[in-house]
Amino acid sequence: MKVIKVDPDKCTQCHTCDLWCGIEIGSERKELNDAIHEKPQPVPRVYVEGSNFPLHCRHCEVAPCIDACPNGTMRRDPTTGLVYVYEPTCIACWMCVMVCPFGIIAPSASFHTAVKCDRCRNMEYPICVDVCPTKALVLEEREEGATWYGYAPKRSY
Amino acid sequence: MDFVQRKTEDSVVDYFLKEAAEKEIPLVWDRYEGSLPQCGFCETGLNCRDCLQGPCISHPFRDQNKVGVCGKDKDILAVHSFVRLVVQGAMGYLDQLTDFARGVEAKEGSPKRKQEADKILKDIQKILGNGDIEVMKKFPKTLTDGWKATGVYPDGIASALFKVSQKLDGGVGNVEETLLWAFKGALMGCVAQVLQGRLKTSVFGDPAPTNVEVNLGVLPKDIPVVLLYGHFSPLLKLKIADAAKGKKIKVMGVCTDSFIAPYIFPPVTNYGSQEIPLMTGAVDLIVIGDQCVNPSLAELAKIWKVEVVPTEVLNRGGLSSFAKEIVEKAQEAFKARSEVSRNIPNIKESGVMGFSAKDIDVNKVAKAVADGKIKGIAILAGCNNVKFTQDHEIVSIARELLKKDVFCVSEGCASVGLAKFGLLNSKQRDVNCGKGLSALLASLGKNVPAVVDLGSCENSGVTDFLLSMSSAGKKHLKEFPIVACFPEANRTKAVARAAWTVAMGVPTYFWPFLPVTGSQKTIDTLSGFCEEKFGAKLHVVTQKMEYKEKAELLVRSLKKV
Repeated sequence: MKVIKVDPDKCTQCHTCDLWCGIEIGSERKELNDAIHEKPQPVPRVYVEGSNFPLHCRHCEVAPCIDACPNGTMRRDPTTGLVYVYEPTCIACWMCVMVCPFGIIAPSASFHTAVKCDRCRNMEYPICVDVCPTKALVLEEREEGATWYGYAPKRSY
Repeated sequence: MDFVQRKTEDSVVDYFLKEAAEKEIPLVWDRYEGSLPQCGFCETGLNCRDCLQGPCISHPFRDQNKVGVCGKDKDILAVHSFVRLVVQGAMGYLDQLTDFARGVEAKEGSPKRKQEADKILKDIQKILGNGDIEVMKKFPKTLTDGWKATGVYPDGIASALFKVSQKLDGGVGNVEETLLWAFKGALMGCVAQVLQGRLKTSVFGDPAPTNVEVNLGVLPKDIPVVLLYGHFSPLLKLKIADAAKGKKIKVMGVCTDSFIAPYIFPPVTNYGSQEIPLMTGAVDLIVIGDQCVNPSLAELAKIWKVEVVPTEVLNRGGLSSFAKEIVEKAQEAFKARSEVSRNIPNIKESGVMGFSAKDIDVNKVAKAVADGKIKGIAILAGCNNVKFTQDHEIVSIARELLKKDVFCVSEGCASVGLAKFGLLNSKQRDVNCGKGLSALLASLGKNVPAVVDLGSCENSGVTDFLLSMSSAGKKHLKEFPIVACFPEANRTKAVARAAWTVAMGVPTYFWPFLPVTGSQKTIDTLSGFCEEKFGAKLHVVTQKMEYKEKAELLVRSLKKV
């Protein structure tokens, strides 16, 4: 499966990725000038906070969020392996938010649902990778057993 | 992040685009595509790099960085990005003026009307001094009183420019107050332009409307060609033309003032395609001023072995010797470039350019407006912007407006764009115009074309025209059905220009949208608050529109008589 690889040396923390994520994925109208005035405020799925490392969902091989979800709202796409939130059934219990080891699931009070990166699974190409001006973000095939790309602890139970 | 599929409306430019693609020579359009997506924070005015604690942004989707390090919120950030453009633009006009005035003071030229020139020079010194500028008396008293009451009266560069520029550096001020400062700065630019126009006529004499040929077809094949780019002292232009006289050298212009009496520098092309003349191989030397010139020209010139002479350099020396040097260099370059092939497409169009407000009988225009023969007046200005198909917007909007009986005047590079498509050709006048407008234009004179060009941005043609309209119609400008439109704007000078047009009471539309859209409050202030203070709005249009919709918008905003 293809995941987003981050090169922290190239990241300038310009926030272009989370701006465009908010516009293209988070907003209703999908246009820069409309999205920035939208209420409730669109929620970007990627985080550039403090260090030069845009945080995305790692789409873990063994995903704690899927395990923790009480009603099957957090799902894995069987063909692509991407983890996503099936919003209609989210009861906003925030179990996934608590267990995510990367802290990338946002509890959105205004939308009453958990919001997370699904690597733009309905689009040809993730928007953040598309807009990154320094190419710090690239889409790459996940290597077999590479823990850098995927949080994959061995199950002990 | 808009990708412009069709680069240009101009067939000559299109022809050279293919050649550039084959030879892999990057032009402005390629560089634009390379820079996509452009920074969304900068595009919407939500950024600031006015100090070294930044750069800061106000993130529209994140709660933790809504304000900059110093506390500028999104409204202040947006209004500051407007101020920044206006200050830069106003300084452009002041630079042109002071450059010219210094030349006249140093007796580099001999003024035709010496007394008048001396009076204007004194007035120019007042810009730096107490700000009691004589030329302001040419403006209607009601207008200047209004400006004084609002506090935007341009009283010298100390308060109208230095002070404004410091608004960016700190202090507390709300959106409305800061915006008024911006208008004050813009009006200073207006004063500079008016003074420059007057100084020009007193030094060189009154311009007369002349039939000029434009577009690349005007380049000659067998003699040296000097191209003047951008803005520099008109006295230097005069000296270059003087030096070239009788020497079989053609001096032409791009994005520069074409009329320095008694000489005319035919506009070879306009802003968007300023790199294309080099591609013909028929240019031997380019003389480059500061404003409106793409730095890319220096690299491109190397490919065609064209020498580049910048005018605005330190320790330039006397104008006469510099001009002679330029002409000699051009002759040498022509010999040295004999092996470079010259490919000049035979496409040109003629147009009557260089009207001044005096050449138009404003009483007839005012009467036609009052009688309802025409719907109103539109001012078309601005250059080209790579975000739009070159010349498409301005030419199609002009055609729509003419069809709808709107009297159109144009300025600067906008005129060259319109001239390329025959809208300044008096023979083709009635092709585009509605009946009422045709009758008015015919009554104004035989050589008056569909769109009346009121000179380059170094003249105050449009401002003079507006002032004489106001006195002819005995009304405030804000009561007239006038609208200004910048369909393909890109320079900071255009932003300052738009701001002072609004301050004079003329509603103004600006494309592409100004970088203030991150703050709804700033957009609202530019319309509602400005309407209240000046009687006109500066419209910030973010919706995508076809030219027809834009033209309809312009016609709708014309006040009913």
